Amino acid sequence: MREMIVSELSLAMQEIAHGFAHFLPRLIVMLIIAFVGWVVAYLVKALLRSILHLMKFDKVSENAGASEFLQQAALPSASELVSRFAFWVAWIGVIMLGVSVLGIGGLQQHVSQFFLFLPRLLVALFIIFFGFLAASFFSRAALLAAVNANLPSPRLLSLSIRVIIVFFVVSMVFEELGLAEQTVLLAFGIAFGAGMLGLAIAFGLGGKDLAREFLEKRLAREGGHEKEEEPSPL
Amino acid sequence: MVEKVDAAWYKRAVIYQVHVRAFYDSNGDGIGDFQGLAQRLDYLRDLGIDALWLMPFFPSPLRDDGYDIADYFSVHPSYGTLDDFKSFLTAAHQRQIRVIVEMVLNHTSDQHPWFQESRSSRENPRRDWYVWSESDTRYKGTRIIFLDTEMSNWAWDPISKEYYWHRFFSHQPDLNYDNPTVREQMWEVMRFWLDLGVDGFRLDAVPYLVEREGTSCENLPETHAIIKELRARVDLDFPGRMLLAEANQWPADLRPYFGEGDEFHMAFHFPLMPRMFMGLKLEDRKPITEILQQTPEIPPSCQWALFLRNHDELTLEMVTDIERDYMYDSYALNKTMRINLGIRRRLAPLLDNDRRRIELMNGMLFSLPGTPIIYYGDEIGMGDNVNLGDRNGVRTPMQWNGGWNGGFSAADPEGLYSPLLLNPVYGFQAINVASQKRSEHSLLSWMQHIIRVRRSTAVFGAGSIEFLYPANHRVLAYVRQLGEETILVVNNLASTAQAVELDLRNYKGRIPIEMFGKNLFPRIGTLPYLLTLGPYQFFWFRLRKL
Amino acid sequence: MPEESLLTDDFIRQLMNVGEVDLLVGLPTHNNAETVGTVVQAIQTGILKNFTRERAVILNVDGGSKDTTCDVVTASSISDIRRAYNTHALRTLPAISVRYGSSPSSETALHTILAAADLVRAKACAVISPESVTIEPEWVSRLLHPIYREHYDYVAPLYRRPKFDGILVTNLIYPMTRAIYGQSVREPYPSEFGFSGDFGNQFLLSHNWRDEHGQFGTELEMFLNAAGSGLKITQSFLGTKGRAENRSDDLVAAMRRTVGVLFLSMDANFERWSADMSRHTGLAANPEYEIISDSSRVNRKRLKQMFSDGVSQLDSVLRSILSPSTVGSLHQIAALDEESFRYPADLWARTVYEFAASHHHSVMSRDHIVQALVPLYRGRALTFMVENRNSSAMEIENSIENLCGEFEQLRPYLLDAWNDGKRGSHA
Repeated sequence: MREMIVSELSLAMQEIAHGFAHFLPRLIVMLIIAFVGWVVAYLVKALLRSILHLMKFDKVSENAGASEFLQQAALPSASELVSRFAFWVAWIGVIMLGVSVLGIGGLQQHVSQFFLFLPRLLVALFIIFFGFLAASFFSRAALLAAVNANLPSPRLLSLSIRVIIVFFVVSMVFEELGLAEQTVLLAFGIAFGAGMLGLAIAFGLGGKDLAREFLEKRLAREGGHEKEEEPSPL
Repeated sequence: MVEKVDAAWYKRAVIYQVHVRAFYDSNGDGIGDFQGLAQRLDYLRDLGIDALWLMPFFPSPLRDDGYDIADYFSVHPSYGTLDDFKSFLTAAHQRQIRVIVEMVLNHTSDQHPWFQESRSSRENPRRDWYVWSESDTRYKGTRIIFLDTEMSNWAWDPISKEYYWHRFFSHQPDLNYDNPTVREQMWEVMRFWLDLGVDGFRLDAVPYLVEREGTSCENLPETHAIIKELRARVDLDFPGRMLLAEANQWPADLRPYFGEGDEFHMAFHFPLMPRMFMGLKLEDRKPITEILQQTPEIPPSCQWALFLRNHDELTLEMVTDIERDYMYDSYALNKTMRINLGIRRRLAPLLDNDRRRIELMNGMLFSLPGTPIIYYGDEIGMGDNVNLGDRNGVRTPMQWNGGWNGGFSAADPEGLYSPLLLNPVYGFQAINVASQKRSEHSLLSWMQHIIRVRRSTAVFGAGSIEFLYPANHRVLAYVRQLGEETILVVNNLASTAQAVELDLRNYKGRIPIEMFGKNLFPRIGTLPYLLTLGPYQFFWFRLRKL
Repeated sequence: MPEESLLTDDFIRQLMNVGEVDLLVGLPTHNNAETVGTVVQAIQTGILKNFTRERAVILNVDGGSKDTTCDVVTASSISDIRRAYNTHALRTLPAISVRYGSSPSSETALHTILAAADLVRAKACAVISPESVTIEPEWVSRLLHPIYREHYDYVAPLYRRPKFDGILVTNLIYPMTRAIYGQSVREPYPSEFGFSGDFGNQFLLSHNWRDEHGQFGTELEMFLNAAGSGLKITQSFLGTKGRAENRSDDLVAAMRRTVGVLFLSMDANFERWSADMSRHTGLAANPEYEIISDSSRVNRKRLKQMFSDGVSQLDSVLRSILSPSTVGSLHQIAALDEESFRYPADLWARTVYEFAASHHHSVMSRDHIVQALVPLYRGRALTFMVENRNSSAMEIENSIENLCGEFEQLRPYLLDAWNDGKRGSHA
């Protein structure tokens, strides 16, 4: 009995050693690939960081309001974030390549899915970036216009616009990434529609005086107006 | 013998104004004469003119260049005898050249026997042949014509101790046309010359014949009545003879002098002339078209006399003050050149001796409605001498060649009636007939050519005129029409090349044929007709219907 | 050449017919049929009286009028075809009209005028507003004479104005252009001005023409170009500044075409204005700038409220533009009540300079920066009106002069902010 166990054990050990000996070169190759990948990724990160610095990317993201958001979240600056993200994507990508080349079964499919996913991820990131930029721009534009037109609650208006745009952007991102598409779309649709309806009712009922005043101001320019007016600035 | 039945000859004529004294001296006394003029008739025939207008050649003290007549029935001895005149007249008629003589009806010289008698005493039978007054306050407000020399229209006669009326120089007393004897006598004067065979009169100073208190003493109805009477007599006894009025008035005021075709046959269009010079300087046709727009229709048998220059100053009486100042600054910056509200310069110096401008002005002269009158010497581009007194600077001897006295006279140069021009630009050695005859590109040759072209059609003399008003105001364009014949005239008044689009839709389908070179131009269609003209260039197009 | 597409065939034809001129008067219009006739007549009278012999043209550039503006102008041509007002004219005085677009744009209007002036080789040009109902014939002479006869390159107008008219000019544009460019030109954004053909051509070739609809403010750019190029500039007193009734200026639009343009010009002309320049006072033909009493009432409460609201609502925006100390000061004065509210001159100058610097560094959309200045301007305008409500003309002049002094004193501050990019380093 003991000889059987020892023999099975040594057979197993032999198999393991054999397997290991078969696997070890691949592992070493894998590690080499990983190392090379790290170097490549590091270069990509450095290059990207320089490019973004030249493009004044941080300034742009500041305009977008992203910098503020990142600061609050105790995250590094936008260009740093993007560089680091590029680093990880590059490194993981190289590793994935290595894995597929090594023919480790079962993983190939995931690898190809990863690479198929990458472009969509990039697009989604673009959408987020420009979406936030647009949200910031338009919300600020609305704020300034409302303030200068002496409309009530300019901040609320500005915020509403920002929220709407962000919401819209997020929906697009989810759709792009293919995550809970239907749910998100539906939710967006309902929320947007409800919001618009609410605003219409609110404006229609609550804001009718303001609307009237606004229209009067616009149309009454032809006739004489007795109200005080600012003297012409020019 | 010239055909006298051709009653409307003056509408097709080109007239040449000359002073016999200035043209050619045949006897070496330094003064031109009728024999000399006769000897030069071939030149005038070759030039292509149809009629001569002679400046006054009557006996005269010559204090106003012969306009102060001392004897109406004779010839000044300096110019020859009456027989010389008759010979000259015959020779002119033989060459189909008509002769118009100057006739000063309004006044005589104070040396005229009539005036000598009239002033001798208040009881003299000829006393009221002139206008006498005890005071100089009659006809107050009447303008003075010779502003530079006369202070008043009245002059004191120390002999009969009264004032006598004179619209011109004080040595030119006005005849009294309220006196029927005077009127009869003046008709006798005219008849004398008509009997000799002259073809017409240029009647000087006609607006001033009659005076009336409380008026401007110009253009009065009584004056017109006198003219009508004279005209009726001329038509009756001498059909085909022509009466040309010298009346420096606005076109509307000139119109009455044509009557209903029963007063003057022709009248000078004085207001047009300075405006042609103005339009040229402004590079804008506006002065020209506006005065012609204001020019009234005249009876079909009548004709305007057009001219660029004459023996008098370029008169600026009929322009506004702004226009006068502009003309002075443009053409007579040197004050010596100015006299009596005018400019005493010849054509060529006025145009800076610019051949192109001289041609353009002559082109307009020959194509605008009227009979053109060429002032002697302008056909060769003679210059002037502003240092001679009065208007004598434009009355210097004709320059025939580059030799002795410019070929004018065999006399000593110091003995000439007037100094010759000597400067290198206009002097007789530079500008003369002989040298210009040698070149087919000289001004003289060109003038002969343009006269020939004008005579090739009756349109210019007798046709209607319709102004085109192209948007380019530097271009003066008009259409002359007579019957089926149509001529398009386009003048570039600018010193720079111009493009102009003409609305010729009414002449659609016609082919323009340029009249000097006889070349075809593109057919007229419905689109605006584009022409480009060089500086001061003009075109005459015959619009052929084929 | 950019003019090729700007000028239609028909317009070229009209210019061809006009030919070379000595004087060109440009008249940019948009639905001005009610007033343009009066203006054209005054221009004609002015030309006929003062430039009797000169070749001139009145050029109407129209931005898509729906009324008879263009017809009124062209009908007033003086030529041998038409007689106008029984005026005797020595030569033709054409009045031509061209449509540059279907909606108004002062940039395209000016572009067209300059291109035409170049093609007809005008020696002296003027632009006159079709709304100047108070125009007198002498205006033409006062604008053109310094150019045509005294060889100036640019003539700015001086007006008789109600004392609170044009506060944006007196409290911002004028002090700033004076401090930056050393030009004491009171109306740097004029509706009437004169310029030489040479300068017009220079600006035509050097300016970056956008030629889109709705572009305004080029008149100011033109003046700034003249000032920046060191050309001979003078001022000429015209008369009462006229404007058509019932025309209210949208403040934001006005800021865009003045302040926005001014800030942009500082980028383009940095080399010139950053060097130390001694002040260059243009000789005015009539050096008085007349101020007359203003009968308009001012809603102080509303203005104060708009200022305060602006400061609070735009806090985040202002913090991106201004230094912390300036923002703090603004909050302080915003908190004051209506009676004691004052927006001091030095703070105002600092505010404007910081805005200019932030505009240069594009801390956000430049248009937003300009818009953000609007409520602050309102506060300054209120202060100016309150401080001077009983002031005489001389006192107001002194007040403006003091403000100019503040702007000039703070020039080093501007330069620092401009170069640093960090705001508030010299609080």
